[in-house]
Amino acid sequence: MPVISRKRRATEHFVKFLCLAAAVTGSLMLFFIVGSVFLGAIPSLTPYFLFTPESATPRIGMGILNAIVGTMILSVTATLLAVPLALGTSVYLQRYARPGRLVGTIRFFIEVLSGTPSIVIGMFGFLVFVYYMKSVTGGFSLMSGSVALSILIMPVIERAIEDAIMRVDLSLEEGSYALGATKYQTIRGITLPVAMSGILTGTILGFGRAAEESAVVILTAGYTQFMPELAVKSNPAFVFGVKVYPVQDLVASLPYAVYHAYENSNVIPLSNGFAAAFVLICVVLIINIAARVVLHLGFAGSGAPISARLRSALSMRRIDRVVEPDRSPREGAAACPFRELDLEETRHVSGPSNTQGDRRGGP
Amino acid sequence: MDLRDTPKILFLTAAASMALLVILIFGFIAWTAAPVLVKTGPGFITGTVWDYDTSTYGILVFIAGTLVLTAVTMAIVIPIGILTAIYLAEWAPAPVERILRPSIELLIGIPSVVFGIFGFFVLRGYFAHTINPAIGAVLGWIPFLRDTTPGSGTGILLAATVLSVMTLPTIVALSQEAMRSVPKEFREASLALGATRWETVRHVVLPSAFPGILTSVILAMMRAAGETMAVVMLLGNLAELPGSVLGGGYAMTSKILNDIGFYMGEAEPRSALFAIALVLFIIEIGMVAIVRAASARIRGACP
Repeated sequence: MPVISRKRRATEHFVKFLCLAAAVTGSLMLFFIVGSVFLGAIPSLTPYFLFTPESATPRIGMGILNAIVGTMILSVTATLLAVPLALGTSVYLQRYARPGRLVGTIRFFIEVLSGTPSIVIGMFGFLVFVYYMKSVTGGFSLMSGSVALSILIMPVIERAIEDAIMRVDLSLEEGSYALGATKYQTIRGITLPVAMSGILTGTILGFGRAAEESAVVILTAGYTQFMPELAVKSNPAFVFGVKVYPVQDLVASLPYAVYHAYENSNVIPLSNGFAAAFVLICVVLIINIAARVVLHLGFAGSGAPISARLRSALSMRRIDRVVEPDRSPREGAAACPFRELDLEETRHVSGPSNTQGDRRGGP
Repeated sequence: MDLRDTPKILFLTAAASMALLVILIFGFIAWTAAPVLVKTGPGFITGTVWDYDTSTYGILVFIAGTLVLTAVTMAIVIPIGILTAIYLAEWAPAPVERILRPSIELLIGIPSVVFGIFGFFVLRGYFAHTINPAIGAVLGWIPFLRDTTPGSGTGILLAATVLSVMTLPTIVALSQEAMRSVPKEFREASLALGATRWETVRHVVLPSAFPGILTSVILAMMRAAGETMAVVMLLGNLAELPGSVLGGGYAMTSKILNDIGFYMGEAEPRSALFAIALVLFIIEIGMVAIVRAASARIRGACP
């Protein structure tokens, strides 16, 4: 039994208490913010406020349906634009690229992009899409907004997908190669299906990032009191002489509605601003929680199912357990906070499961 | 050309176009900013006057605003964040961690505009009537703690408080991961020598996890310096060199957001505003380079 002096013991208790206090303070902030926004929002959280577009209300800021719908359309479009490029980039970096200067450079640029202040991307979008390409995009519009947002969320999605691909057990892929599959067949048939939950998580996270962004949206998408409409109208200012709604039209968004309530706080009741903020928090928190659930299910549920078609294409037997629940495929690697393990390290980590992979991979 | 190479070329194209996009954005901003930068020279950084009428552009006020704001934010968030990370990594029992950790990490999902109106409509009252007067009365003899704008509430302290909540999850999550990745044997060796937990943390865990903690701090700094919406609402937009933590300031990001809508159509003011963005961009690239250097060190240290 080591002897610990009273002073050392007191320090120990004091520091432990300090750390606990800091942790509790930090986690209470979430409840403080969400709680006070909710309390401020209660008077305005009515079906009328939530389900009426602002154009149908007597005064400004009295309805937010246009903003809710606008945020959804903007985020979906931005995500659809960003996912293909992000997916291609992560597959290249994880499965094709050899470590070297090119990969280092590409990674550096992706990191720069992911750290770029959103106002900088917003300004770029403002000048290029809204100002210079006005006849194509329609100035402030859904098109300008979603392209600018997709630039913003691309690195978020890329990183999550790359993480997911890195977690794929290499012995599975080796099994596929042993059966004579090409690299592309293996990626399409094994790597991507197994990484599917992580890919979905990344997509959802990107969607959430697009939904919460304000600066970019203010500078590129603009704001309108009207609901998005589906129409093609003749308009000589546009490149083909027609303006396509809603793509080339202004679109409202929840972050801008919240900012409006701040800018016009002498006209718009405070509770309306809080209610718009509360709806925005709910949208984003639900998205974040969904992302966690998908990721958790993906790993606890022993990997994503591999579709029957691809299995038969590779004439493989059914794979029930891709990742055993009690054994994370990169347990050693998981402890390392940085993701840039190269292929060799990953192979080393997944080494012990090779025998199992051989057994499974047999004809 | 071998048809089997097609997928590889497609994937490479995706990766390359993402990198080219960054070069394009940087180049475009630099190109737009060039006229004013060439005309003003180094005075752009050191000048304190920004006036569209006389076309004088100096951004020292805004640089100082961003730097002071970031520094005060870090002074608040680093102790809280690292203590929290230590608690989660060293002491927290699993059930407690399951509650504390997600509720801190979910903070990252709160949109910045919501932080803004929360700070403006909820916290500003406390700062105007309680916190700022109290600090001013007790510590007002220290020059940078004078209450220079009594009764306003908005200012560096309010903005930094809100930013520190925004950046808390970054510091906590990454520092905790860095502490987790310190090999168990290091801790056990220290404990076996009779050190207490805290002594182990201080002399073994923190030094080994230092590059990871540094990374988390720099990422948080990047987030604070690049933040726009909350800062526009809370910093007071006072275009003078910040004299006191309780007074107001004007950040680079706020200047851009407040003015760009009015001056997009005029070549020279637009160029000046893009020059601010260029300075922000260059600061950010520098920080990314530091993070890379730090994480290269960690990769070397990983077992």
